Amino acid sequence: MKRTVDVNIPLGPIHPCFKEPARVKCETKGERVIAAEVELGYMKKGIERIMKGRPWQEVMFLAERVCGICSVIHNMVFIEAMEQISGIAVPPRAAYLRVVANELDRMQSHLLANFSYCYTIEHETLAMYLLDLREQVMDLLERLTGARVTCAYMIPGGVRCDIHHEDQAFMHESLDRIETELQRYTGMFENGPMIALRSRGIGILTQEAAREAHVVGPTARASGIAEDRRTQHPTYKQLGFTPVVRPGCDNYARIMVRFDEVSQSIRLIRACLDGLPKGIIRGGGICKAGEIRYSGEAPRGELTYSIKTDEVGRVAEIQIQTPSIMNIEACCHSMIIGADSIADVTATFVSADPCIACTER
Amino acid sequence: MTASLYWYLREFARIEWVRKFFFARTAPLVTPAHFRGFPEPTGKACQHALSCMMVCPAVGAIDVVHEGDGWKPRIHKGHCIRCGLCVEACPNGVLMSGRVLETMQAQGTALLVSFRIAIDRDLCTGCGNCVTACPVNKQIDAQLGAGGHSSNDEVIMRVDDGDVQVLHEEKCTGCKTCETSCPTRAIQIARILEGIQQPVEGVGP
Repeated sequence: MKRTVDVNIPLGPIHPCFKEPARVKCETKGERVIAAEVELGYMKKGIERIMKGRPWQEVMFLAERVCGICSVIHNMVFIEAMEQISGIAVPPRAAYLRVVANELDRMQSHLLANFSYCYTIEHETLAMYLLDLREQVMDLLERLTGARVTCAYMIPGGVRCDIHHEDQAFMHESLDRIETELQRYTGMFENGPMIALRSRGIGILTQEAAREAHVVGPTARASGIAEDRRTQHPTYKQLGFTPVVRPGCDNYARIMVRFDEVSQSIRLIRACLDGLPKGIIRGGGICKAGEIRYSGEAPRGELTYSIKTDEVGRVAEIQIQTPSIMNIEACCHSMIIGADSIADVTATFVSADPCIACTER
Repeated sequence: MTASLYWYLREFARIEWVRKFFFARTAPLVTPAHFRGFPEPTGKACQHALSCMMVCPAVGAIDVVHEGDGWKPRIHKGHCIRCGLCVEACPNGVLMSGRVLETMQAQGTALLVSFRIAIDRDLCTGCGNCVTACPVNKQIDAQLGAGGHSSNDEVIMRVDDGDVQVLHEEKCTGCKTCETSCPTRAIQIARILEGIQQPVEGVGP
């Protein structure tokens, strides 16, 4: 009898390349991967159950604790969903400040994702450079909101605090510095021959396969699908946002999409700060009863909150749909299959930027 | 060989290198001024409004206690998540955290706290536990009966004809004592928060 599978190699749940626990089981023939499976469920928090029956001021903090890397967007989508339910209008200045906070968060998340990819392909120098760059973005986020990770910046009807004059100047200055460094690192990644050997043509996710797997976020945009929830957001529409798309379909394209989105975020923040409308930052308003399904674009893709509130604005029912689960599934079904070595499996898995904390909530 | 040896000797004989090698220190941990830290008392007298305690999203992180001759907010740092809501909700500026207090005073922002009492008539048995448990009720009417009956019209709620009637919702401090004492979970207190802004003249963008 002919054996089709040589060894079943498990990667994880604790693995130096993974930021969070997940197990990838690879069926291999020689070094070649012929099938893969992902096992999740190592860190289920049950956070949706905890959210039930609580008012927005408590759910807001729980929402941003769903995921530590993309906390601002969780806060933003939850608060905007509550605003849509209750018919609360946001002052224009607050809407612009929200975009600034959200884009800073996206920058740090993408830089962390790229750090982790570079670290996985053993380009530690570039990885550490990117981590250093991320730290500067985190400092900007801290200046704006008062905290690095759990910012709690947005509340129904506006934002917590306005941007200070001196911080605005500091932010412009820092963004210039970050942009120069980012161009240098992007060039290092783009033109590195060894990086190209590890990234180009590896982890192919064709456009058809991507559509089939319902891939979202930078992973979809690297497969040539122009899908971005920000195009439907009113403030982003005012800023003339267009998504970054690349037709590469491989690991290289996914990382480059993230690099491009970081520089796009810098441009968006500059546009926001230059055109910051004058006026108040909080319009007031009390949350009411209602039901809605609202989406926003997280750094990893489309994030959806389905919320039902009772007559005093407490969350009666809530479901969160996070982007990573689709990307992880696409990773097992298309990207990893046919990888030439196990080292490529970890690199491909990391290039899809899986966020297990989001996925398992 | 000689050149590189010379280079190494010159490199390591530098005073900066020697100093760095023997007296290396990690930079001291300094909390920047813009960081939103744990709430601290500003020194103003606490007026016992209890807003801080009622809006706190982390259970048991802050409580207001009677100490000596006045009230005082007490922060339990192990529970505090440093969100700064208590600072914004306090109407008297008793607490501060980072630059949250000065920013909100400069921009005229505040959080308004109000409470709503909802009673599920289907579940309520009219036992009066909530009426007798309520600390505000006890203060207003010391003669409050065990069944929740009261002749005083100033109480928050009382039992009339075997049913709880809410008379003065605005006096509720949101402590949820009634909610915990209810055997059928018929009574629920909603803590409603609204972010408002009254811009101060001459300040702002």
